[in-house]
Amino acid sequence: MLEKNGVRIAAVSYDSQEVLKGFAEKHGIGYPLLSDQDSAVIRRFKILNVNIAPELRAHGVPHPVNYLVAPDGILIRKYFVPNYQHRVTASAVVLQEFGTVAEDAARIVLRNKTLTVEIGLSGGKAFAGQEISFFANFELKPGWHVYGTPLPDAYATTSITFDDSKIVRQSFELPEAPPMKIAALGEALPVYDGSFQGRGSLLLKFPIEAGRIVLSGRVCFQQCSDTVCEAPETVAFELPLTIEPFMVPTPKK
Amino acid sequence: MAYDVPKDLAEKAAIMREFGRRRAAGEPVPDELYAKHVNATNDHYATGPEPGQHIPDFALPDQNGVLRSLTNLAGPNGLLLAFHRSAGW
Repeated sequence: MLEKNGVRIAAVSYDSQEVLKGFAEKHGIGYPLLSDQDSAVIRRFKILNVNIAPELRAHGVPHPVNYLVAPDGILIRKYFVPNYQHRVTASAVVLQEFGTVAEDAARIVLRNKTLTVEIGLSGGKAFAGQEISFFANFELKPGWHVYGTPLPDAYATTSITFDDSKIVRQSFELPEAPPMKIAALGEALPVYDGSFQGRGSLLLKFPIEAGRIVLSGRVCFQQCSDTVCEAPETVAFELPLTIEPFMVPTPKK
Repeated sequence: MAYDVPKDLAEKAAIMREFGRRRAAGEPVPDELYAKHVNATNDHYATGPEPGQHIPDFALPDQNGVLRSLTNLAGPNGLLLAFHRSAGW
């Protein structure tokens, strides 16, 4: 999925070249596994794990960080999940950076007479403790708008929130809303009209039992036209996600 | 998580040893031990360079002995560089 988007993958560990060669052959790994035997590069990145006593074989390992690096060496984004085994999903990276989602990802379309919202996850599968992304495509009928921020108390901002039963941390971002002069009110407010897209991220809890779960969420918005302003609305939705079994030692190709 | 982070290396090492022993023996790892292990491992975690900064230069041999650096690793849109624990255990 990353390769299709022009991003290559490489992994760094403190293993010898022989260990890495055996590992690559055993698991059919095609991408480069780099040998940082004295942890010198790990130290240079300042991510040596100092919690591990010198007598343990794990001494010298890094904190688990993934870096998305531009070809010129500038760091675009980094991914760290406070659980050494599972990382942000490849599909979440692809959605955040390139706007495409995995084929097995759940999506749902919510519609009322003026607004259509399509909400989808970056992928269909994830591990507990991993970070996934989601998108939301909004489309309003001509003449109607919804609100951005900052906003006076009397109006409801457009937002998407997931229930926190399976989620540790979440975010949702919309592009900046241009101010629009509302004729009936004589004031300018930040609004969205036509089509616009938001993106968000969800850090899954650990542990979660493997199998199919449902992520419940709600979209809040207030739709207005030049002449009519409706009451704020909240629409609930559900998106399925498959949690993969916890101890899966075989890496993906 | 609700479990305390151990204060010194010896205490962390004891948790890591017990975790490793159970994993090696194929015994189930209780959620509490797993959580303690994760907390011990992630204490004072560091995530290195920040977005917008240049990453440190590096040149390391890959599994076939080929010396690799950013120049011969990156695709047209860049490189996902993943730091891992070990492929050996």
